[in-house]
Amino acid sequence: MKDVVLRVENLWKSYGTTEVLRGVEFEVRRGEVKVIMGPSGAGKSTLLRCINLLVRPDKGRIELEGDEVFPHPSKSISSIRQKIGFVFQHFNLFMHLTALDNVRIGLIKVKKMPKEEATRKAIEALEMVGIGKELWHKYPAQLSGGQQQRVAIARAIAMEPSIILMDEPTSALDPELVGEVLRVIEKLARNRTTMLIVTHEMGFALRAADEIMIMDNGVIVERGSPEEILRNPKHERTKRFINSILGRVA
Amino acid sequence: MFLSEFTNYIPVILNGLPNTIILAFGGFGIGLVFGTLLAFLEVYAPKPIASAASLIEEVIRGTPLLVIMFIVFFGLPELGMSLDPVHAAIVSIGIRSLAYQSQIIRGAISSIPAGQLEAALSIGMTRGQAFLYVVVPQAFRIAIPGLVNQFTIDLKDTSIAYAIGVAEIFTQAIHVAQVILDYLTPLVFIGLIYLVMTLTVSYISEYLYRRYAIPGLGGGG
Repeated sequence: MKDVVLRVENLWKSYGTTEVLRGVEFEVRRGEVKVIMGPSGAGKSTLLRCINLLVRPDKGRIELEGDEVFPHPSKSISSIRQKIGFVFQHFNLFMHLTALDNVRIGLIKVKKMPKEEATRKAIEALEMVGIGKELWHKYPAQLSGGQQQRVAIARAIAMEPSIILMDEPTSALDPELVGEVLRVIEKLARNRTTMLIVTHEMGFALRAADEIMIMDNGVIVERGSPEEILRNPKHERTKRFINSILGRVA
Repeated sequence: MFLSEFTNYIPVILNGLPNTIILAFGGFGIGLVFGTLLAFLEVYAPKPIASAASLIEEVIRGTPLLVIMFIVFFGLPELGMSLDPVHAAIVSIGIRSLAYQSQIIRGAISSIPAGQLEAALSIGMTRGQAFLYVVVPQAFRIAIPGLVNQFTIDLKDTSIAYAIGVAEIFTQAIHVAQVILDYLTPLVFIGLIYLVMTLTVSYISEYLYRRYAIPGLGGGG
């Protein structure tokens, strides 16, 4: 049996009186791709942000490769975050740095890698996501949304994290740019990169996910293989949600 | 007739130039160091400290420079802190400048989207690294025009040091005027000196702004 990379137990979070997470539990094994779907406001983004401690959970337990992340981090928060890649909906590339420097800065400043080695690794990562030489020295504002998101994915994978979290990585893209980003993520999935992805892309989920979890109202209401969930949902809320996505596409 | 007499006194006025420049750079420098500190406190410090910082800023911005200068030069000796006129003027201009610079820098820091900081933290940077490598370089670019503008204001306000007897170009011009019984010529002359200095600074500012502009983002040219 493959080892568990991420374990989340009974995770709770509220903002004021609004309970956003109400006892979320799941685990992700090495090489596994898990997709989280659900209506907006279900707590998906908050869940991802709790895992890398951008948001502090109220209670529960998070473990990364057997080390406690929450409530009592076994290492410094920054060294935990190094092992958790994060891809944002709005890319969040560093606007004052070129594509290459965006990927390289973490290797140089965080991993303290010598510059030549960092450059080599960064270029490897950029090539992995299909960003060619002619774009390495462009600034984010000179790149299309799809290119920016691919650079952001390169920035995450260059750090060689144990798991990559993606928060609606294609939701902010023009429709014609979604494909190029999804193809890169599917490539990572084929290479058995461990990922936890929040998305509304059903086709992608069917192709790439090992398991889909449906979240609603702060809890995981249903989970299973993509076939089970998308073709034959058991839960009423899952059915409603899937129909709403299908309705939007049609 | 007047003019020929005035030209003899040009060296007297230029004697004040070093003091004008020292006051401008010294005051602006103090303002930059403490203004940056104040701005960071206002943005990142716990609530009580942040509130105290913005209160200090408000009080200073609400006080005329001449009042600050008289407090520093005539008032502080009562508390046992005596400064000579040049140092008192530098400190006063610095105090005034820091309140405005903190406002400029605070605005620049707050204009950096939260996502930039989050992205920096998410690749494992500490908060300090994230500020140093991600927030500061971007905020600095945004702050350049405002800071340079503040410098030109500080430069012109060095003339207020006349009131505590600093021999800068305005003081020298007034003394010359009293000797040659012509105010217009020396004052227009130093007006031109201020103009040349502010134009030079504006030119440098535009150069810096273009030099450090981020390609693809607006505002570079």
